[in-house]
Amino acid sequence: MKQERFVALHSGEWDSLQSWLSALERQPKRTMRQEQALDFPVSYRRLCHHLALARGRGYSHEVTDRLQRIVQQGHRVMYRPPAPRWHRVASFLIAGFPRLVRAQWRCMAAAAVLFYMPALITLVLMQVRPELAHTVFSSAQLADVEKMYDPANTHLGRSSGTDMQMFGFYVMNNVSIAFRTFASGLFFGVGAIYVLGANGVLIGGVAGHLTAIGYGGPFWRFVVGHSALELSALVIAGGAGLQLGLTLLAPGRQRRGPALVAAGWVGAQLALGAFAMLLAAAFVEAYWSSIAALPDVLKFGSGALLWLLVLGWLWRGGRGTSHGA
Amino acid sequence: MLDTIREIETPEGISLHLRAAGALPRAQAWTVDLFLRMGVFMLAAIPLSLFGVGGKGLALLLLFALMWAYSVVCEVWLGGQTLGKRALGLRVVNADGTPVTWLPSVVRNLLRVVDALPGVYGVGLISTLIDPHARRLGDIVAGTMVIHVSELPAGQQVPSQAAVPLPVVLVADEQAALVEFAERSGQLTPQRQEELANLLTPLTGRNDSAAVRQLIGHANWLLGRP
Repeated sequence: MKQERFVALHSGEWDSLQSWLSALERQPKRTMRQEQALDFPVSYRRLCHHLALARGRGYSHEVTDRLQRIVQQGHRVMYRPPAPRWHRVASFLIAGFPRLVRAQWRCMAAAAVLFYMPALITLVLMQVRPELAHTVFSSAQLADVEKMYDPANTHLGRSSGTDMQMFGFYVMNNVSIAFRTFASGLFFGVGAIYVLGANGVLIGGVAGHLTAIGYGGPFWRFVVGHSALELSALVIAGGAGLQLGLTLLAPGRQRRGPALVAAGWVGAQLALGAFAMLLAAAFVEAYWSSIAALPDVLKFGSGALLWLLVLGWLWRGGRGTSHGA
Repeated sequence: MLDTIREIETPEGISLHLRAAGALPRAQAWTVDLFLRMGVFMLAAIPLSLFGVGGKGLALLLLFALMWAYSVVCEVWLGGQTLGKRALGLRVVNADGTPVTWLPSVVRNLLRVVDALPGVYGVGLISTLIDPHARRLGDIVAGTMVIHVSELPAGQQVPSQAAVPLPVVLVADEQAALVEFAERSGQLTPQRQEELANLLTPLTGRNDSAAVRQLIGHANWLLGRP
């Protein structure tokens, strides 16, 4: 078939598909409801067929370019990502996320050791040699921390500010730390190891120092509520970073490229889960932990309950359900 | 191949041509985004300051959303384009050429931290210069790439001239070579143009500048011009 005849035969079809695709970019919802939307897959495949024919028969650039442009536009519509479904967020948080954490248990265990070991060592060392606090922190930082947990303070864990302000601050600060911990794991895990260790020393140091100078009461009363969610989320973000770095070092039976992409998907899901945990932790920290007037039983009881819930969720969540979705 | 076009075969057996976007347009898009976000934050900070210290918390939440969520939300909802990318005509696509989806977008935007590391996007710049598809580290791990939206129609720079029909049928590669010769003839010296055109004397039956003119005429005919 001559090119002119081919174009004359089909150009009406191409033009109508082109105009439908352009309309779709302007008004997606209304255009999708048109009759033509039902025919789109068929007419798109016909167009692809025409392009292949035009290429095969050596038709000129004019025709192949025109068809190529419509095909590229159509490809984006044909294979567009599905609309997000909100119930999948819930099922991910309840089942998918704990399952993913357990699947990466080696990295999670390593991250936990990297975080809790320095924390515990610093905490104990501070009891034996309290002057070490001045090696880890500057005197201004120490004064700040001491002011926050002064037993005379009516608001626990902060020197000033309202619940709302502190909620914003906790979200911004803690989630940014968690995201950076994950991302820095890409440097062969070194970044994640450093952030985990440094945060362990910092948190252990503050806890140790305050306990040593006798401010332990307000401090432990403050942190026990949100510690379960916050510390677990930090360890999970660190584990996600380690997992990414380890894949770069030892991709196993895959090539590095595809292995990294797979590890990136796992890491992003873990980071999103950690984000949700930190959001909950910030809420508890801002609105519950700061109430000073509650009895110890309630404070420590609720803290212990949260630890049980978080660990139980990570340990059992998603067991026995199907592995789909 | 020296050019930055990536070909992807679709399930229909057609190859898509994706033109990878380099560091410069992407940096420009990022700058547009940066100023946009700074503007939004400042505009929102004025009414929020009326709420006192509680407003500070809301401002921090907004800052968090602009820092971490803005790119992901824009890329997923606006078909792979943040507002800056839209202004510069760029698009983020998955490895198969479709607009970016949630998880890859999250990966590439979280790993922005690594690409941004020494100073302003040092790692990212080096990575885009080394990678054949100009991807930064975040793109490599996410399996995405940033492309130019507009497809340049071939032969835009071919000088207009009366079309001359070809005496024989040429295959696609030969047609492309002819059109590209016409496109680049403006950048060549007349001597070099004639030297190249003289290779096709068996086709044109002419020599020197007459041959060049005839080849450009053929190219115009191939492009469907009158």
